[in-house]
Amino acid sequence: MIIQRISRFISNFENLMPIFAAACAVLAGIAILSLPFVYTEDQLYPKNIDRESPLDPYDRGGPPFTQADIVLQYPENSPTAGFVTAYLTPFSWALANTTLHTGTTIVGHPGGILDEILYNTRGLDTVVETTILFIAFAIASYIFRKGSP
Amino acid sequence: MIGDQYSWGLLVVLGSAVIGFTALSLEKDDLHRLLLVDLVEIASIGIIALIGTDLAEALILPGLVVGIAEILALSQIYLMKEDLQDRPVRIPAIEVLQESPAPLILSTILIVYGIILSGFTGGAVAGLGALFFIAARSRSEDLHLLELASGLSWVLWIAAFFVFMFLPEYWYLALMGAAVGILIKVITKMSLMGVMWEAEP
Amino acid sequence: MIGAGGSPLRYLEFGDIVIYFSPYTLALFLLALVFTVLVIASKPERQLDIAFGADAFTTKDIGLSEMRFRRFMAIACGLASMGAMVTGDVFDFCLFTSLVGICNVGIVAAVKSRHVQGAAFQYGLVALAGTVPLFGGAAIVAATTGTLSLIELSSTLLPAVPLVVKGFLVLGVMGEGMAPFYAAKAEMFRAPGAPYVIMCSLSSLLIFLRVIEVVLQM
Repeated sequence: MIIQRISRFISNFENLMPIFAAACAVLAGIAILSLPFVYTEDQLYPKNIDRESPLDPYDRGGPPFTQADIVLQYPENSPTAGFVTAYLTPFSWALANTTLHTGTTIVGHPGGILDEILYNTRGLDTVVETTILFIAFAIASYIFRKGSP
Repeated sequence: MIGDQYSWGLLVVLGSAVIGFTALSLEKDDLHRLLLVDLVEIASIGIIALIGTDLAEALILPGLVVGIAEILALSQIYLMKEDLQDRPVRIPAIEVLQESPAPLILSTILIVYGIILSGFTGGAVAGLGALFFIAARSRSEDLHLLELASGLSWVLWIAAFFVFMFLPEYWYLALMGAAVGILIKVITKMSLMGVMWEAEP
Repeated sequence: MIGAGGSPLRYLEFGDIVIYFSPYTLALFLLALVFTVLVIASKPERQLDIAFGADAFTTKDIGLSEMRFRRFMAIACGLASMGAMVTGDVFDFCLFTSLVGICNVGIVAAVKSRHVQGAAFQYGLVALAGTVPLFGGAAIVAATTGTLSLIELSSTLLPAVPLVVKGFLVLGVMGEGMAPFYAAKAEMFRAPGAPYVIMCSLSSLLIFLRVIEVVLQM
């Protein structure tokens, strides 16, 4: 009997979201009760901040076209990892030499540690991520166009 | 020391996740559910950010993009489900949009600056320029050329990925391919949104 | 390493993300591959409405563009589940799983039936909320152990992943695929088109089988 009622409740798709959200809330509550978690100190791609550098929060490499030293999971799989980290476009190189505040602009330009991770060492993540974007746009534009013949 | 701070941070983020999910389980209205899901997404980005390394910053981008993409598709499904498709969308009557040379000048500045920036941010800036230009014009545009450009830039990106993986000595070529690919892709996607936003004649 | 699914037979390296084929993942991969090929090759079936009390039935007419779109989504879903079966990285697994989730929504969202669309919307909301425990769980794994690679995680030298975090991952996959709650998917199966709709349940079954191996490995 009880199984029948449960199955009737979850077969109504309006109730799906409340059930799932409640399960998530309960699990997050359990996670809070089981704190503290261990934090491993030797992480991959560690962050170090040098306030004197013009590339302040993202200064990870030497001059462009040298190989920077970065901590990655499998160095033998990416023999050229570190070149992209050290690379600066001519524009951002000029900016870094004239001002102390190039800072986060490096994220907008090709080169830097984030491009190294996103394109090179964890490139497959980015490929899957753009595929998700692509599929979502395909759904949205198909439905949009179907609405206006 | 860092471990302590990490657990305190987790306490805050998980606490907000509990609040968000509780609200979501009580909410009945579909549109509000969509908005609350978007709010809860922020908790997952907070948990990723707590790793506190460069890796965390690189993982936030996929996390954010997945959320935005699914919200886009779901809101389109919502419009169709609720039959809100045929309502005319009026372009807001802003003075800058009405004067004919102003959108052209502004969007040219944005696009040129975006191309100088290049990469993801540059794509967003240039795309904003294109969106602004399209929004200011009254007649509708052909979608196919934009979609073709977007598809081709995606292929360029995938090609750059394979160069990184299998011909690592050509990393510079791959970096430039990926940067140009994402620049064009973000521009075209944002202008597509502009076209979709525009009222159907 | 000897993981929960047997020792890997072959590795495929993509930088930090290493794909591995163990007997378990290889079997699931082949299943997804065979079904994707079936989806590409087969012709869609037409749904019949049988009128009760009379010897009559009507065939539902489905437009060509709708069928093509849904076949595209089903193929993408098959490729995504193939990726999720063999990837050797926790975060990458989460991304493939969310790709499976959005493809499932896409397969049914194109159907012109209010009932199916309502189901697709609710299901899409759950899939979107499922990314929170999924990505959150993967991030806590990275923070507690310092790695995301399943090959490294299977070694006993690293600190143990908290049990509740494994629960996060399983709950996230349940949200994306609805794996044990097929009753909840019944409304989605009202959508016509035989091989494409079955892709929804097969892919969610596969990702659920894989997440068990992922969780046992940690």
